Amino acid sequence: MKEKKNEEEHPSFSMDRAFQRTKILTNHLLQSSPSSPAQIPSLSSNACLDYSPPELSEGYAFDIKEMRQLLDGHHVADRDWLFGMMMQSKLFNPRVRGGKVFVSPDYNQSMEQQREMTWKRIVYLLERGVFKGWLTEKGEEAEMRKFAYFEAVGLFDHSIAIKLGVHFFLWGGAIQFFGTKHHHDKWLRDTENYLIKGCFAMTELGHGSNVRGIETVTTYDSNTGEFVINTPCESAQKYWIGGAANHATHTIVFSQLNINGTNQGVHAFIAQIRDAVGNVCPNIRIADCGHKIGLNGVDNGRIWFDNVRVPRENLLNSVADVSADGKYLSSIKDPDQRFAAFLAPLTAGRVNIAVSAVYQSKVGLAIAIRYALTRRAFSVKPNEPEVLLLDYPSHQRRLVPLLAKTYAMSFAANYLKMLYVKRTPQSNKTIHVVSSSFKAVFTWNNMQILQECREACGGQGLKTENRVGHLKGEHDVQSTFEGDNNILMQQVSKALFAEYVAAQKKNKAFKGLGLEHMNKPCPVIPSQLTSATLRCSQFQMDALCLRERDLLKCFVLDVSQHQAKGESKEHAFIMSYQLAEDLSRAFSDRAIFQKFVEAEATLAAGSLKDVLGMLRSLYALICIEDVAFLRYGYLSVDNAAAVRREITKVCSELRPHALALVSSFGIPDAFLSPVAFNWIDANSWSSVQH
Amino acid sequence: MASSVSSQQDHQVLVEANSSARILSLNRPKQLNALSFQMISRLLELFLAYEEDPNVKLVILKGKGRAFCAGGDVAALVRDIRGDDWRAGAKFFLKEFTLNYLMAAYSKPQVSILNGIVMGGGAGASVHGRFRVATENSVFAMPETALGLFPDVGASYFLSRLPGFFGEYVGLTGSRLDGAEMLACGLATHFVPSAKLAMLEAALCIVDSSDPVIISSIIDQYCEQPSLKEQSVYKRLDVIDRCFSQKTVEEIISALERELVHKMDVWISTTIQTLKKASPTSLKISLRSIREGRLQGVGQCLVREYRMVCHVMRGEVSKDFFEGCRAILLDKDKNPKWEPSKLELVTDSRVDRYFSKMNTEEWEDLKLPTRSKHKLPLYAIAKL
Repeated sequence: MKEKKNEEEHPSFSMDRAFQRTKILTNHLLQSSPSSPAQIPSLSSNACLDYSPPELSEGYAFDIKEMRQLLDGHHVADRDWLFGMMMQSKLFNPRVRGGKVFVSPDYNQSMEQQREMTWKRIVYLLERGVFKGWLTEKGEEAEMRKFAYFEAVGLFDHSIAIKLGVHFFLWGGAIQFFGTKHHHDKWLRDTENYLIKGCFAMTELGHGSNVRGIETVTTYDSNTGEFVINTPCESAQKYWIGGAANHATHTIVFSQLNINGTNQGVHAFIAQIRDAVGNVCPNIRIADCGHKIGLNGVDNGRIWFDNVRVPRENLLNSVADVSADGKYLSSIKDPDQRFAAFLAPLTAGRVNIAVSAVYQSKVGLAIAIRYALTRRAFSVKPNEPEVLLLDYPSHQRRLVPLLAKTYAMSFAANYLKMLYVKRTPQSNKTIHVVSSSFKAVFTWNNMQILQECREACGGQGLKTENRVGHLKGEHDVQSTFEGDNNILMQQVSKALFAEYVAAQKKNKAFKGLGLEHMNKPCPVIPSQLTSATLRCSQFQMDALCLRERDLLKCFVLDVSQHQAKGESKEHAFIMSYQLAEDLSRAFSDRAIFQKFVEAEATLAAGSLKDVLGMLRSLYALICIEDVAFLRYGYLSVDNAAAVRREITKVCSELRPHALALVSSFGIPDAFLSPVAFNWIDANSWSSVQH
Repeated sequence: MASSVSSQQDHQVLVEANSSARILSLNRPKQLNALSFQMISRLLELFLAYEEDPNVKLVILKGKGRAFCAGGDVAALVRDIRGDDWRAGAKFFLKEFTLNYLMAAYSKPQVSILNGIVMGGGAGASVHGRFRVATENSVFAMPETALGLFPDVGASYFLSRLPGFFGEYVGLTGSRLDGAEMLACGLATHFVPSAKLAMLEAALCIVDSSDPVIISSIIDQYCEQPSLKEQSVYKRLDVIDRCFSQKTVEEIISALERELVHKMDVWISTTIQTLKKASPTSLKISLRSIREGRLQGVGQCLVREYRMVCHVMRGEVSKDFFEGCRAILLDKDKNPKWEPSKLELVTDSRVDRYFSKMNTEEWEDLKLPTRSKHKLPLYAIAKL
C-alpha cells in the first residue's frame, strides 16, 4: 500500500524500480550455473544492495577508548572480563548471525524455562567468582566494582540483573543496613555464596509507594520469644516479590509492628519461606504473579503469612528492638525518621536503576545509529543512489539529540554513583533527592529513546533478536519499581520547597542540591539569541537556572496561596501538581547539565573536548526547547525559533561523529544485535538453511 | 647488483601461477620459513597485486620443507634492535601487521596449507585467511610468552574467538596443538592427509572461482576426520574453562593449583610449570590483550597490538623480550632472568603502559590499509 502510493506520487521512483528489477532479473538469468550441482548458488548481491560496514567509511576524530573511559568512568577492564565471560559460555545463548556471534536470552522460551536459564547463568557467574566480595567486602573500590559488574550483566539481560539486584541489594542490603552484627555474621557470607536465596517482601497488593500504609501485622509473643507475622486480609498479600515464586528460601518481611496494642510502625523481619530442597514452609502460602510484559526470567510471586512464627532475633534491629520480655526500644524517637531509615536500601536500588537505564539507552542508540549508517531509503534524483538514513536531517534530528541526552545521563550517573559510594549521614538528603530525580528522568528518557530507536530501525526493530524493541517491554517496569517516577518527582519538588522555606525563614543562603545559583542575581536572557550565545555554556546554564529559580518561587507562592485559603500543606501540594512537575523537571535538567559541564571541564583541549562541547550544547538546547520556556515566558517566540534552528545545526555537525560516539559506549558487538551489523547477510537464504 | 638482491629476496617467496590460482611458497626451509622483512614485503606486494588482477581467483600459501612458517625472524630482529634502534623492529611489525590485516579483510579466498610447523607469525600469515588446511604434520603454537613477547599478529583476535577459554590457554602457555586439535578448535578449517595435498592443490588450481562455498566443497573432497589423541588438551576443556576464565594470571594459576588439591594431574602441573617459567610481564599483557581482543574487530586488535609491540621493542617498561631472545634463541641457555621477576610485581599501571600510545615524536598508530575499494566477502566484513 505504502509503496504504491509513493509510486503514484513520484513516477521517477517507479521508473527507477522497473530499471532495478530488470537489472536484477538479467543478472539472475546470466548467472553461470555452479560447477557442483549439489550447490545452491549463493545469491549474487551485485545488482542488489550491498552492506557496507560503517567502519570502512566513517572515521574516528577522537580516541574512542578515551571517551569510553570517561563514560564508563571506572573498572573498564573488569567489565570487559565479564562481557567475555558471558560470550564464551553456551549458557548465554550465543547465536551466529551475519558471520558474527550475538548473545541474548531466548525470549521465545516459556516463562518457566526463562527462569531456569536465568538461574543457571547466575550459578555460572557465581562459580567464576563474579560475586566475590559483593556483601563481605567494604570500601569504595569494592562498591564501584560491584556497580561495574552489575551494569555489564544488565547489558545481557534485565532479568538476570533484577534477580541479582533482589538477592544482593534488597535482601543483602536490608541485612547490611537494618541488621546488626549477629545478622551480618549469620547471613551475609551465606548470601554471597547463594547458600541461601533471599527476597524482599515490601510491596503489597493494596500498598506500593505508600509503604507506611502496608497492612501486614506482626505481634510479639513473650511466652515463646517469637514474633508472629500475619497477613490479615487479601490486600495485605505481598505482591511482585522477585524470587518468591520459585527460588527464594528467605525473605525480608516489611510489617507493622504491634506491641501490646501500640502500633510502632513499619519494621523489617527475616522469615524463611522454603526449606533447603525448595518446599514451601508451613504457614506460608505462595502464588505466582504470572506472565509479564517483560522480565519473565524473574519469578515474581505473592506471599501470604498465616501467623508465621520467627525467633526474636529475626527482627532487623539497627533502629529499633524488642526486649525478650516484650518492650519496644528505639534509639530514634521520631517515627518519621525511623521510617526514613528503613528506606535506605531502596536508594541503592534507585542508583542501580538510573545507571542501568542509561546503558539500555546506549544499546538502543548504538543499534539504531549503526543501522542508520548502513540503511538507505529513497533517491533524491532518479538513478542516484538511495540516501543513507542518517544523512537525512530529519533522521539526525530524531537520533542525535538522544545521543546528547545519553552522554549527559552518563556523566550524571557517574556522579550519582560517587555520591552514593561516598555517602555520609550528612549527604543522605542529597542522595535521596538526586537519586529520585535521576531515577525518574533517566528511566523516562530510556523509554522514549528506545521507542525512537525502535522506530528508526523500522520493521527490523520489531524483531526480538534485534533487541531494541524488546528492551522496551523489559525496562518499562523501571518507571514503577523502587519508587513510582511521578511520586519520586513530587518528592523532589517537596524537597526543593523545604529548602526554599528554610532559607527564607532563617534568612540564610542556599547551600546544597546545586541551588547556590539562587543566591546570585537573576540571570537575564539576551533579547536576541545568536548562534554564539546559544553555544556558550554560561548562557546555557543561565537559562536552565532561570527556569528552576522562577518555578521554585512560583511553586512556593502557589502552595502558600492554597495554604492562605486554609488548606493543609499536603492538600496544597496536591493542588499545585502542575508547577511541581515542571519544577522537578527543571531541577533535573539543570542538575544533569551541571554534571556534563563538570565532566567536560576535566579534559584538556583537543578533539575529544570539542565533540563533548557540541554534545553539551545540544543537550542544553533540547532542554531549553522544552515547552516550559515558552509557557512561562523565559524565551520569546523568536528566541525559541533560534534555539530550534541551532539544534538542527549542531545535529548536522555531530553527524560525522555518530559512529565514534556510539562506539565509545564500549558495548561489545555481541551485545548489540544483527541489525546493527550485516543485516543483509543475517537475513540471507543461506542463514535460513541451518 | 640491485637486481641480484631483489632476485634473492624473490627467492624467499616462490610464485607459481596456475590458471586462476596463485601458489606462494615460503622458501627459507633452513630457518623453518621464518618471516624476514623481505618476505613480508614481498607477500604484501603480491597480495595487493592479486587483488587488482581479475585473473586471480584464489591464493594458496604454503611452506617449503618441514615447516609452514615458524614465525617472524625474531633473531634477526633482535640483532637490529641491539643497535639501539627499536624503530627498525617497529618497522618490521608495521609491515607484518599490515599484511595480517590485508589477509583478514581480503577480497579473495586464501587457502593456507599447514603441513608442518605453524608458529607465531606463521599463524598470523594463515589463520586470518578464509581456509586453513591442517595435516598430520601440523604443529601449532603461539610461544611468545616464553620469549618475553605476547601473541601478536592479530592473535588477540583469533585466539579470543576459540571455544570457551581455550584461546587464553593456548596464548599464555604456548601449548602445542596438532592438526586434529587445530581442526577441533577452529584454528584449521579442514584436515587433509599430507599424501593428498598434491591432488588438492591440483584441484584448487582448476576451480576458477572465488566462491568460498565452491572452494570449501573442493577441499571437502580430500578431507578426513582425524580423531583427537587420547591425551589431547582439547579433552580438558572443562578444566581450561574453569581456570583460564579467571580474571588475572595469578587467579588462573591458583585455580589450576586448586584443581591439583583434589587429584594429581601431570598435565595440570606441567601447565603451572610452564606459566611459572614464562615472562610475568608477557603473561599479564597477553591476557589483557586477548580479553580486549575478544570485544574488538580485527583492525582494532592489530592497532592495539602494534602499540604493545612498539613498547616491547623500545624496552622502557621491561626488557624481557631481549632477555628471552638471548636465553632461548641466541645463548640458548634456556634460563631467562625476567624483570620484574614475579607476577605480583607487574602492577596494573605497568600493564596499562603497553596499551597506551607511544609518547615519542614521529611515532604513529598503525594505519590500516583502506578496504573500502574492494567488495569484501561476507566472512571478511564480519571481522571488521
